[in-house]
Amino acid sequence: MYNNQNTSLALALAALFLMAPFFSAGAETTLNGAGATFPYPIYSKWFDEYNKIHPDIKINYQSIGSGGGIKQFTAKTVDFGATDGPMSDKEIFAVDGKPVHIPTVLGAVVPTFNVPGVANLVFDGNILAGIFLGTIKSWDDPAIKGLNPEAALPPSPITVVHRADGSGTTYCFTDYLSAVSPEWKKTVGTGKAVNWPVGLGGKGNEGVAGLVKQTSGAIGYVELIYAKSNNLAYGAVKNRAGKAVLASVEAVSAAAASAKIPADFRVSIVNASGDTSYPISTFTWLLVYEKNSGKTGAVLKEFLVWMLEDGQKLAPNLGYAPLPANVNDMVKARIQSIK
Amino acid sequence: MSAGFRRRQRINTFMFFLTGVFTFIALSTLFFILGYIAYHGISSLSWDFVTKLPKPVGETGGGIANAIVGSLKIVGLASLIGIPVGVLGAVYLAEFGGNRIGFLIRYAADVINGVPSIVIGIFAYALVVLPMKQFSALSGGVALSIIMIPLVIRTTEEFLRLVPGSIREAALALGLPQWKVILRVVLPTAARGILTGAILSVSRIAGETAPLLFTAFGNRYWDDGLLHPIAALPLTIFTYAISPYDDWHKQAWAAALILILIVLIGNILARLLMKQPSPQSH
Repeated sequence: MYNNQNTSLALALAALFLMAPFFSAGAETTLNGAGATFPYPIYSKWFDEYNKIHPDIKINYQSIGSGGGIKQFTAKTVDFGATDGPMSDKEIFAVDGKPVHIPTVLGAVVPTFNVPGVANLVFDGNILAGIFLGTIKSWDDPAIKGLNPEAALPPSPITVVHRADGSGTTYCFTDYLSAVSPEWKKTVGTGKAVNWPVGLGGKGNEGVAGLVKQTSGAIGYVELIYAKSNNLAYGAVKNRAGKAVLASVEAVSAAAASAKIPADFRVSIVNASGDTSYPISTFTWLLVYEKNSGKTGAVLKEFLVWMLEDGQKLAPNLGYAPLPANVNDMVKARIQSIK
Repeated sequence: MSAGFRRRQRINTFMFFLTGVFTFIALSTLFFILGYIAYHGISSLSWDFVTKLPKPVGETGGGIANAIVGSLKIVGLASLIGIPVGVLGAVYLAEFGGNRIGFLIRYAADVINGVPSIVIGIFAYALVVLPMKQFSALSGGVALSIIMIPLVIRTTEEFLRLVPGSIREAALALGLPQWKVILRVVLPTAARGILTGAILSVSRIAGETAPLLFTAFGNRYWDDGLLHPIAALPLTIFTYAISPYDDWHKQAWAAALILILIVLIGNILARLLMKQPSPQSH
């Protein structure tokens, strides 16, 4: 018989290979989560550290974007979700069960640009809104020149780059523009995906960073870490108090300090008051269910307690601002009811 | 010599030259891709890279062992579903499918073949992930097997049709029942072609990313069994390539190199197996 033995041997081996993990599965607990790309670095650091302390607990997080995170959380295909923009009332209503927003850390969205010969720029809300609305078309526009008298701004056109996918970064950025520009609020508004009047779309923070890097005269918005790790220039932004502030852990913490935190933690901290506050800052949230099946709730709660204590100390090294003490206490109290 | 002849001769030389150039372009693309990936990937290859788990995001080092095993598992699972279904389907088409149903099946297979793989991923998501409320290796295997089945059906059928009718008739004339003719005469004769088709389909699905995004989902740890999210090489390459970290970009190249090597080695092994002189003992 031609090759019969070979085939059956191969099939038997394949079957064994596939079955093997069934026998080896021990008393481990695996939690699966998905969502925002922005906190991915700190989350994977946390889950890795936590696995070192509790080798029997594995938390697997996939960064598919805030929109995807909310979708999978709603479909209950994951144990928890993650987002940079809070769920809307409508989105919460769609979830079977009670979703809880758990703020974890804070971050900043920065305007990043590629203008030859220009390394530092200052923006304000009106300029950013004007650029992204398409009314400010050239780098040597008087408005930009007015704030940056020293910069050698060329008379070249501005190429706007924005996100093409549903994104918490977009939510934070448009939330800020809506807060500072009535025209933006009226014509475009706030959302994870909006109808951009002008510009090119890039997928993910990386896509926007890549487009800005390749395009002379481009401006985009990315999370701070993406601008830093790609060596992109990013501008300081004038805050509510009229001071130009460059994004940093301290400037984000300052923005959070002045915020009034509601009981469900769904809060926007864009355009915060205070001299040192960075105006395009945001919390990022984990989404968990109030009631979980089996051990999931207990394991999650234990992790969240660790995250609020030891986990927070890991944040600044990775460019994230830890939760303010008052928020930390509120979260600790809130997670007690998670089952 | 007439001017017309010289003109035809010139055109002949020119066209001959063109075919050579285009053959060179087609071949050099292959070698360019292989070379480019090897050039970028080889510096990050190490023993640790193929035996260790990934490090947390942004930290250098770590490996992709779980993705290698995960890919083998998903592709193995897809083959276990896809190859038997495909081969048996092809037997039906080649031996009994000269009718309207056969036409419909062939047509359906071609249509599935043309469906973008992301759509098949969504289908598997709705079929397996949503009811089970769990991303899993199983759903990834199902998604890939759906891509595999039409490929296996169509290639296997082609090779079964190449088996001369006279051989079938000779076997029937010796008094063999039809099932024995198919099992002992037709299939072994076409075995080489069937295996080639199977290898091609395995190579094709090994590199699929889109159908795995919302089925296998990815996992940073070792997975247990078939009912949990699982890592896979294409997913790892995708995630690492769009990350903002240089080290991950390098690892993505190395992972791509490993994926290509695995497909290549599988290909060569299977061909060597087929080259073995077949024992004609029966």
